[in-house]
Amino acid sequence: MTVETLVAAIFTIAIFSFLYKENPFYRAAEHILVGVSVGYYLVILVEETILSKVAKPLIYDRNLLVIIPAVLGLLMFARLSRNKGYIARIPLALLIGAGAGVSIPAMLWARVLKQMAASMLPLQTISGIIILVGVVSTLAYFYFSREQRGWFGYMAKTGTYFLMIFFGATFGYTVMSRVTLLIGRMEFLLYDFLGIIG
Amino acid sequence: MDLSRLDRRVIFVLMGLAVIIPILFNITTDVEITRDTLDIYNEIEDLESGEFVMISFDFEASSYPEMYPLALATLNHLFKKNLKVIGLALFSEGTAIGYTLLSEVAGRYGKQYGADYIYLGFRPQYVSAILGMGESIIKVFPEDYLKRPVEEYSEFSGLSGYDDLPLVVSIADGSMPIHWADYANARYQQKVAVACAAVMVTAFKPYFESGQLIGPAAGIKGAAEYEKLLKQRGIAHRRLFAQSTTHVFIIVMVIVANLAAFRGRRR
Amino acid sequence: MKTRLPIAICFIFGIFTLIQYFTSDPTMALIYAEILDWMQIIFVFTLLVGVVTIFKIHSIKIARQQNNWPYSLLTIIGIAVMAILGFTRGTDWGSPFLWIFMNIQVPMQSTMFALLAFYVASAAYRGFRFRNKEAAVLLITAIIVMLGRVPLGHQISDFIPRVAEWIIDNPSVAAKRGILIGIGLGSITTALRVILGVERSYVGGK
Repeated sequence: MTVETLVAAIFTIAIFSFLYKENPFYRAAEHILVGVSVGYYLVILVEETILSKVAKPLIYDRNLLVIIPAVLGLLMFARLSRNKGYIARIPLALLIGAGAGVSIPAMLWARVLKQMAASMLPLQTISGIIILVGVVSTLAYFYFSREQRGWFGYMAKTGTYFLMIFFGATFGYTVMSRVTLLIGRMEFLLYDFLGIIG
Repeated sequence: MDLSRLDRRVIFVLMGLAVIIPILFNITTDVEITRDTLDIYNEIEDLESGEFVMISFDFEASSYPEMYPLALATLNHLFKKNLKVIGLALFSEGTAIGYTLLSEVAGRYGKQYGADYIYLGFRPQYVSAILGMGESIIKVFPEDYLKRPVEEYSEFSGLSGYDDLPLVVSIADGSMPIHWADYANARYQQKVAVACAAVMVTAFKPYFESGQLIGPAAGIKGAAEYEKLLKQRGIAHRRLFAQSTTHVFIIVMVIVANLAAFRGRRR
Repeated sequence: MKTRLPIAICFIFGIFTLIQYFTSDPTMALIYAEILDWMQIIFVFTLLVGVVTIFKIHSIKIARQQNNWPYSLLTIIGIAVMAILGFTRGTDWGSPFLWIFMNIQVPMQSTMFALLAFYVASAAYRGFRFRNKEAAVLLITAIIVMLGRVPLGHQISDFIPRVAEWIIDNPSVAAKRGILIGIGLGSITTALRVILGVERSYVGGK
């Protein structure tokens, strides 16, 4: 058994101990995790972006244009102040405005037009009918500006069943995902840590 | 004893046993290959040796046990095909994991950093990163993870945008492939193949059916299918037996709970 | 000025990036690429504010010796150790920074999520009931998918994985597609409202 395995196993068991009840062992591990994660995050952010996209272009390439986003970024720290917090709205507005601008054509193309086109399959196939009925009835379900009565109510009810199928399938896959994670950790404890099976 | 209201710690113990006992048997099961995994496999298989492929490690440490077999299988395929691999991460945790995995697998194939593969590192704000690479990859990543200018690597210095990339592969545990579809595929018609956590399949499926994304190889079964296509029997195959039995266990539990509740209501 | 300037900036950058999509002017493309770069740089500082905030919260807890302050000390030590190792010894293969990440952070974080398997089983046992038709549809679908996505389902009958695949490729896709189209339309509306200054929640407006 290596030092790496021992360290990882100790922390793994500490987290698993929460299943019995919360305890100091678990809490200590949790706080160490928070600290290590934040420290990791800090290093990656600074090394990957601040140094390579701000400091180096400014110092070595004399690219003065980066001063603008750097200053705007520094204005974000105004959020930590009680009185001057409003200054942070300026860089935030740039992020939100630019983000909104690029998202409009993307959403329209990728999520509306392409998906609508994919829903219009030949109605000679069962798939085609199911997809079209499912999409329309799901949209009807989420349309709350009209009372869901009569034919519209039946359509919305159909949408409910399509949604239940979707949630059921999602739950099945969620179980699959979570169980895989558990199997992975158990394998580590049984094979690598305890060496029960080679 | 009211079976429908069992103490949750009893359920935890039973669940633990349901996972541990099959693992101890160390049984490897076979899988049938599905169309979804075959799609992503064929897409990579159709690439010529020496072509560029970008692989984005879009997952966090929390999904490592599930994503590791998928990432491993995909990287094995990319290096087997002698493709020029460009790694990056759009999640901060994926950065270190991606570099570790890339280095580990590349080493097994005798691949050289800078000649056969590079690792660009991490960029935050994935929307601007994905869109920015469409204009210029080197503008978004002037340096690689090792802090060397990308232009210094002769094999990769000519990279412009997505025009030079026949394929992007996203190994994801969250919604990042949807952003690849929304931005890279919608604006630049970039082909994006996905290997994802099982939990995201139903969320991504419309994008696969509409042709915006390729794949997916999903979860541990997807990883096992990929291993089979590569004529390997690795971690994914080994874990499938425990996966199968645990699924059956949960189904049986739900049925037992419902029968117990039904009996209780009748009384 | 406190609200008008940010709203004006939002409008300018929003309209520019929207219009740029429809043009092939090289100058606009250059400015657009520069704006994307700026977004990344500004965003990093946003994340750094979060890091500083966590550091501040735990530091105050230690300084004032509030309830459970020794745990906050562990957090601060974790941050400091990672930061010092990362900045002084690098983040390359074999570095102490990567060692701690792969042998402490990854195992703990993946175990945290592995705990969910127990809670999913517990919730399924205690909460999933065939109460009505909708719940029955949900449960039956979940059971078919759970069986169909493992080799055991194939061994019981070829039919199970085929049905599971059909469910995922057809009715499930249809429902999710309806949700996606709705989200897409909603996102476009919200984005337009933000650019035009109707939606002002980010500047503290209503």
